[in-house]
Amino acid sequence: MMATGNRAVVDDLALRHLDAAYNLGRWLLGNEQDAADAVHDAYLRAARACDTYAGGNARAWWLAIVRNCCLARLALRNKEKANVAIDDNPVAAERLMPHDESGGVEDQVDGAIRRRQMAMHLDRLPAMFREVLILREIEELSYREIADVLEAPIGTVMSRLARGRALLQKALTDDGTVEAPHGL
Amino acid sequence: MDCKTAAELVPLYFDGELDRATSREVEAHLDTCADCQAALIELDALRRALRHDVPRFSAPDTLRRRVAESATVAMPPSSDRRGSSRRRTWLALAASWVLAFTAGGFTLGMWNQVASSGHAESQLDRDLFASHWRALAAASPIDVVSTDQHTVKPWFAGKVATAPVVRDFAAQGYALMGGRVDYVGNERVPVLVYRHGKHLIDVFVLPGPVTHEGHEAVQMQGYSLENANLGGQKAIIVSDMDRDELLHFRDLLNSVT
Ligand SMILES: [Zn+2]
Repeated sequence: MMATGNRAVVDDLALRHLDAAYNLGRWLLGNEQDAADAVHDAYLRAARACDTYAGGNARAWWLAIVRNCCLARLALRNKEKANVAIDDNPVAAERLMPHDESGGVEDQVDGAIRRRQMAMHLDRLPAMFREVLILREIEELSYREIADVLEAPIGTVMSRLARGRALLQKALTDDGTVEAPHGL
Repeated sequence: MDCKTAAELVPLYFDGELDRATSREVEAHLDTCADCQAALIELDALRRALRHDVPRFSAPDTLRRRVAESATVAMPPSSDRRGSSRRRTWLALAASWVLAFTAGGFTLGMWNQVASSGHAESQLDRDLFASHWRALAAASPIDVVSTDQHTVKPWFAGKVATAPVVRDFAAQGYALMGGRVDYVGNERVPVLVYRHGKHLIDVFVLPGPVTHEGHEAVQMQGYSLENANLGGQKAIIVSDMDRDELLHFRDLLNSVT
């Protein structure tokens, strides 16, 4: 679908999926400036690499470049800090999860608080789980597409998605943001 | 299919990653297994929470300009950026399917009954019933909880294409509870939530003008769909109220100008 050397197609692709790219960057990097810079880096890299695009899902190809630019920024930022990189093993990554210090939360959680808590819990997830949740639940990518973005096997996508969902579910249930729906 | 296999496949089923035949097998197991049903419902609740409560950051204009300036193509409208409609449709189906057993006593047989009804607008009806039941099953059927019509209306601004007319009918026995945004097909639509006695009432305000051919009232397992005209917009009421109460409420909505 993408003719090699077709710069216009890459431009169209990047602009069409700019929100998805920025959203991913924002959730991986945690702030607007870094996310915007990473996406711009990604665009420049994609424009240069349009000759090397080897076929397959174009959106996944573009988001993979965005992700790599984000990871490069993360690595730079974390050089001095001893943070766990996104691709380290999940068990180690989970141990780094901060625990919720808010303790008992009121029964009635209104929309604004619920949104803040959701964002907080998602933000606290290790990045490797956060990114699959964003790609699957928010950007609605298929397993195949996520695998292309992560440049990882589908089995890895499935296990990270399962683990990410379980961790987020647990965090939400623990502070009552989401109630078990079958309790009705 | 045994439960262990099914439990592993439920997330794949939910994500639309199974072929038709395997999906059928999972469905057959779900029919009989409360644990797997609960797992599916949990997945749906988590997705809803993520979609509703987590901000989706849009590229700032400065970034869009930066990229567009070096790009060789015109800036596309930023509206057509969501996933494929195929998956969206599937999700709606999955959600209605989940709901068939969440809201007290519904059975999968009912889902099949709706699915095979052959009604011209049965997909729409299915979405609406599903949305109503899902809301009932969720921790809260309401995103903005307010009995104040002046709070509810602005809340919709920016979330849906057209903010609906919002009126409270507490004096007439139909109190405004709040509102939420829900999907009907591929469309995000405002839903007004009212209460009449112990009955919860959803009013889906559909985009576009009122059409006269509007489909007949549909009833299912004690729940009804009824058409209304809310200040010039097509609205569909879903509730388990008595017929007379429902029609009275419809007339109230219709009287809004
Ligand atoms: Zn089971």
